[in-house]
Amino acid sequence: MIVAPPRYEPGFNGPEKTQLEEWLDYHRATLLMKCEGLSVEQLATASVPPSTLTLLGLLRHMTIVEQYWFHKIFADEDVVPAYDSPDDPDTEFNDLTGATLDEVERNFLEVCARSRDIVEGSDLFSLARAARPATPIDLRWICVHMIEEYARHNGHADLLRECIDGATGD
Amino acid sequence: MQEPDRHEPPNAGAERELLETFLDYYRGTLLVKCAGLDEEQLRTRACEPSTLTLLGLVRHMTNVEQNWFQWRFLGRDVDFVYAGERDRDREFNDLDSVSSDHVERDFLAVCEQSRAIGGAHDLDQFERRSNDEWRVNLRWIYVHLIEEYARHCGHADLLRERLDGATGD
Repeated sequence: MIVAPPRYEPGFNGPEKTQLEEWLDYHRATLLMKCEGLSVEQLATASVPPSTLTLLGLLRHMTIVEQYWFHKIFADEDVVPAYDSPDDPDTEFNDLTGATLDEVERNFLEVCARSRDIVEGSDLFSLARAARPATPIDLRWICVHMIEEYARHNGHADLLRECIDGATGD
Repeated sequence: MQEPDRHEPPNAGAERELLETFLDYYRGTLLVKCAGLDEEQLRTRACEPSTLTLLGLVRHMTNVEQNWFQWRFLGRDVDFVYAGERDRDREFNDLDSVSSDHVERDFLAVCEQSRAIGGAHDLDQFERRSNDEWRVNLRWIYVHLIEEYARHCGHADLLRERLDGATGD
């Protein structure tokens, strides 16, 4: 079972980068909280049909989203996506049997740790190294985008969780 | 409700422009999720046991905008659009009090007021209602509203898909 890390409220008046880093970590932790204490079967249940979303799928999805934006596009690292299939571009959502729950949790935490290091070592005006020069992307955009992407998926996670066991909460 | 014009935030640039455009993008997204549905669909608890509805979300965000920009940041006395003395969550629960056209109009008007307030102040400025425990600056309010809208738009995604199968960012 997934054990969520402690979650900290973002500081009310910090400088820009600190606030963005804290909001990102807040939402990473929130996703794990929504998964905490459930069995693998519950985590893999599409509990709000006709949507095919599952909590496990969201956790796998955000792992490769972190890899894509921070590791690959921003830092231009050689990235092997944690979940990949030549046959299905959405394999992280669809093939939930390929990795154990422990592996999914570990992959997520490791990938987030690397993202945190990348952000810490760069300033928000830095341009993504793997973006096309004609369409520059800076770290500021990537951070705000990741916050809203996490938050939106955590909205999905709220309803998925409530439909599994009735649990609610921010 | 009508589908609004929505503009993608620029992929690089200054802090303020990015925060303002992302917030506007999400104000628009919430309306996109409501567009084209009838009065009954907008009031349907489509994802029970959750009591959330699309119309309730628009009403909620109207109050949230007023709370952060007008009441907290400016320190004004605010006549909240959906004030509830007996029911704290009246904006979610008492859905028959006004038509969806009215809800939409109030929402757009309040967002316009927020835009004017936010645009006229520095991001480092503290809210007027700061105290020892809460010293919130405008930057925090922007980022918080972006993530609050985004989270509720996640709720809206699933509500809408249950109502008529429509999906999309």
